[in-house]
Amino acid sequence: MASEPVARAVAEEVARWGGMRQTGLSLRYMMEFGARPTERNLLLAAQFLHKELSIRIARRAQDLDTLPFGLSTKPAILKVRDWYLNSFRDIRYFPEVRNQDDELAFTEMIKMIRLRHNNVVPTMALGVQQLKKDLGGTKAFPPGIDVIHQFLDRFYMSRIGIRMLIGQHVALHDPDPEPGVIGLINTRLSPMLVAQLASEDARAICMREYGSAPDVNIYGDPDFTFPYVTPHLHLMMFELVKNSLRAVQERYMNSDKHAPPVRIIVADGAEDVTIKISDEGGGIPRSGLSRIFTYLYSTAENPPDLDGHNEGVTMAGYGYGIPISRLYARYFGGDLQIISMEGYGTDAYLHLSRLGDSEEPLL
Amino acid sequence: MASESVARAVAEEAGRWGSMKQTGVSLRYMMEFGSRPTERNLLLSAQFLRKELPIRIARRALELESLPFGLSNKPAILKVRDWYLESFRDIRYFPDVRSRNDELAFTQMIKMIKVRHNNVVPTMALGVQQLKKEQCRARRIPSGFEEIHEFLDRFYMSRIGIRMLIGQHVALHDPDPEPGVIGLINTKLSPIQVAQVASEDARSICLREYGSAPDINIYGDPTFTFPYVSSHLHLMLFELVKNSLRAVQERYMNSDKDVPPVRIIVADGAEDVTIKVSDEGGGIPRSGLPRIFTYLYSTAKNPPDIDGPSEGVTMAGYGYGLPISRLYARYFGGDMQIISMEGYGTDAYLHLSRLGDSEEPLP
Repeated sequence: MASEPVARAVAEEVARWGGMRQTGLSLRYMMEFGARPTERNLLLAAQFLHKELSIRIARRAQDLDTLPFGLSTKPAILKVRDWYLNSFRDIRYFPEVRNQDDELAFTEMIKMIRLRHNNVVPTMALGVQQLKKDLGGTKAFPPGIDVIHQFLDRFYMSRIGIRMLIGQHVALHDPDPEPGVIGLINTRLSPMLVAQLASEDARAICMREYGSAPDVNIYGDPDFTFPYVTPHLHLMMFELVKNSLRAVQERYMNSDKHAPPVRIIVADGAEDVTIKISDEGGGIPRSGLSRIFTYLYSTAENPPDLDGHNEGVTMAGYGYGIPISRLYARYFGGDLQIISMEGYGTDAYLHLSRLGDSEEPLL
Repeated sequence: MASESVARAVAEEAGRWGSMKQTGVSLRYMMEFGSRPTERNLLLSAQFLRKELPIRIARRALELESLPFGLSNKPAILKVRDWYLESFRDIRYFPDVRSRNDELAFTQMIKMIKVRHNNVVPTMALGVQQLKKEQCRARRIPSGFEEIHEFLDRFYMSRIGIRMLIGQHVALHDPDPEPGVIGLINTKLSPIQVAQVASEDARSICLREYGSAPDINIYGDPTFTFPYVSSHLHLMLFELVKNSLRAVQERYMNSDKDVPPVRIIVADGAEDVTIKVSDEGGGIPRSGLPRIFTYLYSTAKNPPDIDGPSEGVTMAGYGYGLPISRLYARYFGGDMQIISMEGYGTDAYLHLSRLGDSEEPLP
């Protein structure tokens, strides 16, 4: 626990750095830069991150202090804010990076930061739960509460960016990368392959929960590849297929009719790669559609094991899968749209920018 | 042509009426009211219209005079404004409707107003063309055309409402309506049937233009019906199917491959009836999608024969089909969404409110 004057000094630094301008990178830039991970380039990258991460982390720490409706004072939110302050201190007080030893130590340090923040999403979710309880439940939400939703979108998007920058830098130190892989970016990612893997994973979950799972049919060019971050695409597809499987399963579980397959279509265009996941699971009424993208109305399950599971599993369990998947899609200039036909089924469209020219959204 | 003082008096009246509050009516209300077209009810309806129509007409006349970028001065726009002023005069100076004869005369009068305004859409389109030409000649880069687009959306939506009110009132005078039909509303409209008819119409246009036409497969419950205005639904479906057929035809015309059919799915839910029109016509790039809903980028064909063909044909010929179809969908509380997969095809979703509780939008 920092003493008073130290705490005040840190607060001033946070305010200073939080007001500085952020610098966004595009997927293409990260690829081109990372294609030559020389000692010199890694040094330059570390020096860039030394400044950039301080700015981004400070900005979020400030945000967390000024949330409306008393959200900032909830225990879980205070915990997250402390993580951000600790990380800010770690980076700010790390000495100048001037040689390879410095650079390796810096890389270790940001690796620890990433680990420290692993459970941010479920912890924030817990904070939102605490707020809901205090306010007396969803029905008692005061007007203007949607501003919290916009905050969470910005906050989580920023987190995706911070973790991408850190992850990419760390991965560039791999002495023996797979062919075609630059850091976290697979320059020859096959969306069909990711679709197959994500579908198998989703079917396994469905099987475990219901004892059976609908088929998933995948259509598209199996030779087509493009540069993208594999875990991002896997996360998004897994979430969408999981939802489709559940909808179909629930609809046809107690029926004689054969469950219609979930269909995935992968289309490659000049600007975009578009992936459609279609189900005949009965659809969602138009009035209920916006709700699937919100954080405030999702029903959180049991409080998370805060020191336990890794990010992937706990993220999905909060009903946060869809809004967060959309953030991942938008991070590299894409988007996620969900259209439903009440009484029939739902179509989810994942648009991914093929050109990779989009700069990270910096809010 | 009115003399100066008369013109001034009318302008003052228009100014007064144009700022009065409009009253919206829902589909359900129109159905319930129109189910008993007694003399008394028709009288009440005429008296309501005698107040409501001048408000709506005056409002539009005022707007036409205050358009940005000098659009108001274009000859075609002045022509439309004159139509609105004449119609305003006709209604305002119509005496009190107190008897059945009054009511019949009133109905004839508003029928004439509707005929006068038949060619508003192509004439407004000509006015926009005149503005674009002038801007190009002056080498002015058009900016803020957003404003014009928003104006046209409001203007055309209002026109749909005015024509619905007039059409409904006139149709209620039919001494021998079809069973289940109340004015313009078919209480037992089968969307599958409208889809079939619209598809045949669209296919024949395609056949005429290209010599062949892709197949259309329609899926859904053939016994399902709900209350709606047939002509509105036909217009929207015709537009969507026409676009799909053209896209598929252009893509497969010079190819050996089998031409994939256009598929229409009709889903009936509790809140909505949703109709999806799907094609594999190659899709539209994400960057080009907003354009299909604008009025300003459509390539108008030869200047319209303003006193000539009926509204139906000329509307389709201006590339105005999609934005206006969307207005029709929204008029009764529905919507139209178009999602495209570049390199594959396009899905258009028509959401129609099943409950009919939505009041007319009154911009």
